[in-house]
Amino acid sequence: MELKINTTDKIQIVTIEGDIDSSVASVVTDKIVPLATAKAKIIIDMTEVAYMSSAGLRTLLSIHRQATNNEAQLILVGISEDIKDTMSVTGFLNFFTISESLESAKGII
Amino acid sequence: MIEKLTVSATINSLKIITEYIVKVANLGGLDKKATYKLRLATDELATNIINYAYTENNGVGDILFESEISDEVIMIKIKDLGIPFDPTTKLETELKTINIPIEERKIGGLGIFLVFDGVDQFFYERIDNENISTLIIYRK
Repeated sequence: MELKINTTDKIQIVTIEGDIDSSVASVVTDKIVPLATAKAKIIIDMTEVAYMSSAGLRTLLSIHRQATNNEAQLILVGISEDIKDTMSVTGFLNFFTISESLESAKGII
Repeated sequence: MIEKLTVSATINSLKIITEYIVKVANLGGLDKKATYKLRLATDELATNIINYAYTENNGVGDILFESEISDEVIMIKIKDLGIPFDPTTKLETELKTINIPIEERKIGGLGIFLVFDGVDQFFYERIDNENISTLIIYRK
């Protein structure tokens, strides 16, 4: 798993590559949660994430909570069909803003 | 046909477990989506064993896998010699969690729900100091 953070036009773009399971989820949490400061704008690009377990759901919940508390905006990009399915059956999907591409996410944030 | 795997109950074993499960799924002719869900179910059970089963033994112990492919089903048994843990007891709590708005949820697991969601049948047994989880997937 690799994680990169780029900031352009006051938007923090996090790019994750690789599977998110219990061996890496806490690293992802620790790197992204601190980005959700007051009124922050965060896009998480998961185009290159093919797999995510419940450990990743926990990570998403922590990020969502911090973003809500700090009125930060959060958009997820490039969620695979399999991960969308996991988020849907666990009741996560409706609570996240999801965009098909990075460009469209930049347009709505 | 029976495929076996024994790994130490550490987080580094997840990769080997995934390779093993994908191999079994391919031998059983599962499609991409069924393979993904089986991998997820196995990962969740293995992660539970890694995190909790051997806490009384400084985390040291093994996870054993036995997979059998018949004409109708793929049957995977996941075994450990750790403290007794029946995953089915967690299901009710997790099912309730799913209907709570995520703002109000506790930061907790949904892994057992995903195990049940990912397979056609699941059952648990405790036999001679062993936890045995059995996952069954229909081959059609």
